[in-house]
Amino acid sequence: MTDYLSDAEARVALHDVERARQRVIDQIGMPKWYWWGLAACWIALGVLNDVANAWIVAVATIVFGAVHSAVSQRLLAGRRQTGNVKVRRDVAGRHAPLIVFGCLVGLAGVTIAAALAANADGAEHPATMASVLVAVIILLGGPRVMAAIRAGATRRDAVR
Amino acid sequence: MTVDNGFDELIHPATRLQIVSLLAAADWADFTFIREQLGLSDSALSKQLSTLEEAGYVTIERPLSERRRRVRARLTPVGRERFNAHVAALQGIIAGA
Repeated sequence: MTDYLSDAEARVALHDVERARQRVIDQIGMPKWYWWGLAACWIALGVLNDVANAWIVAVATIVFGAVHSAVSQRLLAGRRQTGNVKVRRDVAGRHAPLIVFGCLVGLAGVTIAAALAANADGAEHPATMASVLVAVIILLGGPRVMAAIRAGATRRDAVR
Repeated sequence: MTVDNGFDELIHPATRLQIVSLLAAADWADFTFIREQLGLSDSALSKQLSTLEEAGYVTIERPLSERRRRVRARLTPVGRERFNAHVAALQGIIAGA
């Protein structure tokens, strides 16, 4: 059969293969509700930091961490944006969960730094201000991080 | 089914090649996802999946979730091996041209 297949026909077939793979790569991402939920919880924790006592803040932070951990185990790799397909780990990239987790750790640092700066400036609700800032970063930046992970998957696929 | 230097006649027809390529990049895919991505009718996709399933290239699962009956397709290890060999054969044709 390969004797009868021209170079052009083989190229068309490979193009079909790449296009189909790209359709799956396009599914890498997190559901919108994840980013909105994360941003809302971030603000809620910021507000609690300003108005509640330390015990309530500690309990809320632990509950947030536990719930986020449970949810993110399934989602953090970006392989199940929808329930319709599960992208293979080697296609999504083995480092995708680490990238997202690293971003979250970085955002926690930004929140603390922004709250300390706002507090030093005499702001009345420094943690709330800082958490709103970071919530905006989450909503705008989260999908961009996933877009970068998709772009990385496409590049890896191209050199394969 | 003819397999010639990795070239697989069962996989090669355009629709089947696209289905297998989709599945090769996924752990599993819903019937509806494949149908929508490739713009196929239910009957056309069912027919192609049945052919691939009979050849042992694909398994069809019917998990019951959210009280909805879903149909999922998954590439078998044999199907993945044949797909990789087929892609290598296509690349070989281009390299040898």
